[in-house]
Amino acid sequence: MITATGWREELLSEESLRSWVDLLVRLVEAAGALIIFFGAALAFTRFISLTARRRREQEFTAVRLGLGRYLVLGLEFQLASDLLKTAVSPSYEDIGQLAAIAAIRTALNYFLGKEIAAERQELEAQEQADPGRGDPGRAVP
Amino acid sequence: MSAVLQTAALLCTVGGLVGAALALAATRQLLVALGVLLDLLVAAGLLRLTGDPDLRALTTLAAVVLLRQLVSAGLRQGHRTAAGAEP
Repeated sequence: MITATGWREELLSEESLRSWVDLLVRLVEAAGALIIFFGAALAFTRFISLTARRRREQEFTAVRLGLGRYLVLGLEFQLASDLLKTAVSPSYEDIGQLAAIAAIRTALNYFLGKEIAAERQELEAQEQADPGRGDPGRAVP
Repeated sequence: MSAVLQTAALLCTVGGLVGAALALAATRQLLVALGVLLDLLVAAGLLRLTGDPDLRALTTLAAVVLLRQLVSAGLRQGHRTAAGAEP
């Protein structure tokens, strides 16, 4: 007969925790990949639409801004999965490896975020300088 | 990396090349086309990072992001120059 303590040990054993965390890591990674791919597909269809309608450079930049936001969000999910991987008794080697990967992803996230902010400011400055150039019906993602 | 992720990354890369060609055709500006290409290459690189990335994938992506920053800085500089040249 399995006691209450036994059930607890069975449920919270390192092996079962590790398998649950592995599942969560895969789910979070899958979510990040879906976001990135969806953003890329959306941007690509918008590029086709802009080309067909012979739109201006600023509208291509606006679509790139939208794609950049999806990429940053996808990176956040990848960082979350990196953190989850350290959740259950990692070795020093695991931690070192993950630290290197997380550091590069964080740097990518930072530079992408800064660039998105700078391009957005540039776009807003252009629209303020020449409000008649833009398409009022253009949706900025 | 799984076959699905590899295919998705490949699609993003192809999309980047096609998108760059379309942007060049529409705007006649190389920097705009380069920006489109690099954005989708970043997406492909991020997809390749999913799972257990190797150092080569990470450094390749870092290089693409750096190039993207240079292209964007060039585009912003071009806008400032054009704005300054206007009477």
